[in-house]
Amino acid sequence: MTPRPAVLRLFLAATLLLGSPAAARAQGGGGARPVKIGATLPLTGAEARIGGFFKEGYDLAFEQANARGGLQVGGTKVPVQLLLQDDTSTQATAVSLADRLINSDRVDFLLGTYASHLVQAQSGVAEQNRVPYVNGGGGATDIYRRGYKYLFGLIAPVELLGDTLMSWIDAEQKAGRLPRPARIALLWENTAHGKDFRKGVSDFVGKRKDAYQILVDDSFELSGKDFSALLGKVKAAGVDLFLVDAHLPDYITMHRQYIGAAMCNKAESYGARGSEKAAVDALGQANVDYVLSSVWWNAQLARTNPQAKVFVDAFQARYHKEPEWFQALAYESARALFTAIEQAGTLDRKAVRDRLAALKIPSLLPGGTLEFPADHGQQAQNTFVVQQNMPDGTAPIVFPPEVATAKGVAPNPRCPR
Amino acid sequence: MQRLVDLAVSAVLLAGLYAAMAYGLGLVYGVLRVVNLAHAGVIMAGAYAGWVLHRALGLDPYLSLPLVVAGSFVLGVGVYVLLVRHLPRGAAGGPQSLLLLFGVWLVLRNVAYLLFTGDDHVIRTGYSTRAVPFLGTWLPVNRLAVFGIAVAVPLALHLLLRHTYAGRAIRAVAQNADSCTLVGIDVERVYALTFGLGTALAGLAGLLSATLFSFNPAFGSSELLKSFVVVVLGGLGSIAGTGVAALILASVEAYSILVLPAYLTSAVGFVMLVVVLVLRPGGLFGQRVLG
Repeated sequence: MTPRPAVLRLFLAATLLLGSPAAARAQGGGGARPVKIGATLPLTGAEARIGGFFKEGYDLAFEQANARGGLQVGGTKVPVQLLLQDDTSTQATAVSLADRLINSDRVDFLLGTYASHLVQAQSGVAEQNRVPYVNGGGGATDIYRRGYKYLFGLIAPVELLGDTLMSWIDAEQKAGRLPRPARIALLWENTAHGKDFRKGVSDFVGKRKDAYQILVDDSFELSGKDFSALLGKVKAAGVDLFLVDAHLPDYITMHRQYIGAAMCNKAESYGARGSEKAAVDALGQANVDYVLSSVWWNAQLARTNPQAKVFVDAFQARYHKEPEWFQALAYESARALFTAIEQAGTLDRKAVRDRLAALKIPSLLPGGTLEFPADHGQQAQNTFVVQQNMPDGTAPIVFPPEVATAKGVAPNPRCPR
Repeated sequence: MQRLVDLAVSAVLLAGLYAAMAYGLGLVYGVLRVVNLAHAGVIMAGAYAGWVLHRALGLDPYLSLPLVVAGSFVLGVGVYVLLVRHLPRGAAGGPQSLLLLFGVWLVLRNVAYLLFTGDDHVIRTGYSTRAVPFLGTWLPVNRLAVFGIAVAVPLALHLLLRHTYAGRAIRAVAQNADSCTLVGIDVERVYALTFGLGTALAGLAGLLSATLFSFNPAFGSSELLKSFVVVVLGGLGSIAGTGVAALILASVEAYSILVLPAYLTSAVGFVMLVVVLVLRPGGLFGQRVLG
């Protein structure tokens, strides 16, 4: 006897419905199915080095979660699985792989890639598909001004970088170690990153017009070859503070020409760049002494922040080296997503998105708390830490005072008095 | 006044670098009528070769110049014999040569990613940040060295092309390859030699650039663009024109900072390129072939 067609159709429909990922998500953690989290990283191409750092952070977070038996979802421990693809540092690949992860691999959630331009492109796919997308690699504020609901960023805006740097300078000025008014040369790479830096410094100066004057305000091309004309402009202006936002290659090229032109200013900074080993190797320790940098995170935070200590200890045990901010932001992105999933108690994307929007947890980031404020497009607003290169090769945190590991030095002792 | 002197010094030193980057591209186009897109890949490879020799053997980058130039020459001859030789000559081979040499560039770039990752590298010597005073300004020692070599290269090329049999053969082939075949010149050999020389000059430019800048496997793209501008401005195939065009381009870029934001100064060169192509398609110095 053969089953009747109507019964067969009903059976097939029920099987398909029950077997679908949407149904699985709606059932929460009732089954042993692992939580599938997709991500792409630039493991090859121009951003390969940093992509590798992000992978270390993600891997550590997933290993720790699974070592604890998985995520607590709806009363059951569920293993968590990372589906990681190489986006080759290109926007088109990042977008198509995100689409594949969502619609072919059927991941539940996404973690972000690294670099603002990749996050900007990829997060659109997540938003269209209503998949929570948590990233620690896209810092440009433009990314978060699009009104996206499923996008969450841990990397604080570059505007705050400029603001934090100026706060240290302001404290030194108030202590009488820097001139008042201080004349500033503000140079920024012609990218979203550079424009945000410029805005941070300019907004700060705008509030303290009696204390600061911006005499040179100019941008330069990314990966420039010759900055001598621009540096000539700075030299002719006779400024006190030399504040630049540059990526590593431009920092090295510009500072080499800066030193070669026998220039020296009372405070020198290249934004987030300054203490990198590559820069010290390229320029020599003596030439980078007292350069200031403002970064999202540093392992020295472990001295004052318990969450940072847990991370640094685990990272060193796993990789036998000190983490940089890249690994920390990646690790914390995964941890934030895990926490939201556990708080939601379900794999329903909307419920997890709502938990992320309301999240407020102790964090390894400066300030010690992580949240995604809606009025900033769900981009975290944690402060930066200012470091200063010292002649002994260290780069202690000099600001903010509550996490400082040494006192900053101003004016720059490298300059002849 | 001092500011104008500073800018003039910057322009002259920058011109040296631009010229060094463009000579090889101009030479290959002048003789083979092939736009060598692999030029960018060889610039990058030259930078890495200098870095490896400096790191592994402690060789000063200027002392490793002969090794890098020789290695690049062999690479160029190899690429010609194995690949470029099989392309159709003249206009018919244009698109094929562009695609083929673009492919060679991609292969070189990805080999570098495989060997050295995407990290930035630099060559640092004891004199990397040293400078000497001159007319109230400071001249970086490395830039002076690059400029000196950039001046010496066209002189050496001139002597080669004017006073040796191989040089005269290169000039003859550049003017009329068919006639050269009739009088017994081995045209294929001349092409291989020229491609090797052009590639050697790209390797040289890469090593010189590595003494000034940090580099990674993507290095060479913007250098290739600048080289194009210089070669087209100077007149395709004109070695002397290449040097003068490099000076014009560098001067325009340097002085434009007086009226333009710094990030627009390099765009000025491209605007100049378009204007020259419209008004004088043969370049500022005509279509002289290796004169």
